[in-house]
Amino acid sequence: MSDHFRAFSFVDRIHADESGKRISGEYLIPEGIDGFPLSLVAESIGQCAAMSSMAVVDFQFRPVAGIAGAVDFCGEVEPGDRLQLEATLEKADEEAVGYGGVATVNGEVVVRLRDCLGPMVPMADFDDPAAVRARYDLLSGEGAEPGAYAGVPVFEFEMTGGITGETAEGRFKIPEAAPFFGDHFARRPVFPGTLLMDLNLRFLSSLVDQLPGEGSWKAIGMTDVKLRAFMPPGEELALRAEVEEIVGDRAVIRVQSRRGKRLNSGARVLLSQSK
Amino acid sequence: MSNLEISQDSINSIYPKVAEIIADALGCDEDEVKPDSSLINDLEAESIDFLDIVFRLEREFKVKIPRGKAVEDARGELSEEEFEQSGVVTDAGFEKLKSFMTEVPADRISSPLKSAEIPKLFTTETFCKMVIREQQG
Repeated sequence: MSDHFRAFSFVDRIHADESGKRISGEYLIPEGIDGFPLSLVAESIGQCAAMSSMAVVDFQFRPVAGIAGAVDFCGEVEPGDRLQLEATLEKADEEAVGYGGVATVNGEVVVRLRDCLGPMVPMADFDDPAAVRARYDLLSGEGAEPGAYAGVPVFEFEMTGGITGETAEGRFKIPEAAPFFGDHFARRPVFPGTLLMDLNLRFLSSLVDQLPGEGSWKAIGMTDVKLRAFMPPGEELALRAEVEEIVGDRAVIRVQSRRGKRLNSGARVLLSQSK
Repeated sequence: MSNLEISQDSINSIYPKVAEIIADALGCDEDEVKPDSSLINDLEAESIDFLDIVFRLEREFKVKIPRGKAVEDARGELSEEEFEQSGVVTDAGFEKLKSFMTEVPADRISSPLKSAEIPKLFTTETFCKMVIREQQG
């Protein structure tokens, strides 16, 4: 069975789409998978906004991950949870989609996105416009059969250095092949930015363990998330995390990835210490 | 609108906010952002950063800055063929560009100039002027 619209698609149904202005939908996290990171909840909101924006440009363009001004991690999710997705679009044209949105479970916000911007790319370079249009129609009508997503591997990275309590350095090789590449995107496989987001959160855990204080530190959000380039299969990324600020029970760690000398992505991770 | 119609006072009035937005978008200190900083060469901006900056400016100043507007404005009454041929800015286009982008230090504009390299000329003040032109309609 094709991975298209299965291996990395996180909207089952569109409830309402006020063309290019507001969209709501839902996604049922399949039972039986090991877990569903909050970065993929953010992906769900983004995909919902993407659907509305693609309809605006008649599926001739599609957005790709670019910028998230802020991602708030407000709760937790688990397999079997039904995400209610809402996105408000500030901009949707052939240049970009600008949006914010929330995902809720049982009325409680689990992830909030603010000030996101996804540059548009020609749809035909990345996917089949007719297939994406048909998917939009399916989601807007009877909805897709839930449960297609089977999880993603836990990506391994190698720690290569750093200064205790200050920085961490590592290396990550994007896999050559994975089911999600068949869905992200069908005609041009690219490592999803939200998987890099999740990887970064795990990568900085060793540095987090070295932060001062007796309580445990937890990521409560990310800001200034920016993806500068596509990440094709097989590429190697150099990872770096640096403690930028610690004030009381709050800390900020800056994470970056590079391909060679070129800055590939950057973000700030906000952490809170519980007593 | 001609370049001469934008006064330095107008530029100065919005410069601090534009510089702040550019610094935020590029993740650099505001001190690093100078009026004549080339965003690409001095501040290492990439295309996604341009999109980010324009989006932030649009929201802050409640204007709409269409993609390619700066070059379109610079071209003025010249047709596309008169402005560039085979990806290279023509002599007429070059003179037009120089007279329009007075904020760019003269030693940075040299001919022949590939049209794809025009964004390398963009400075902080270029973005101030973009905003002012849209504000003035």
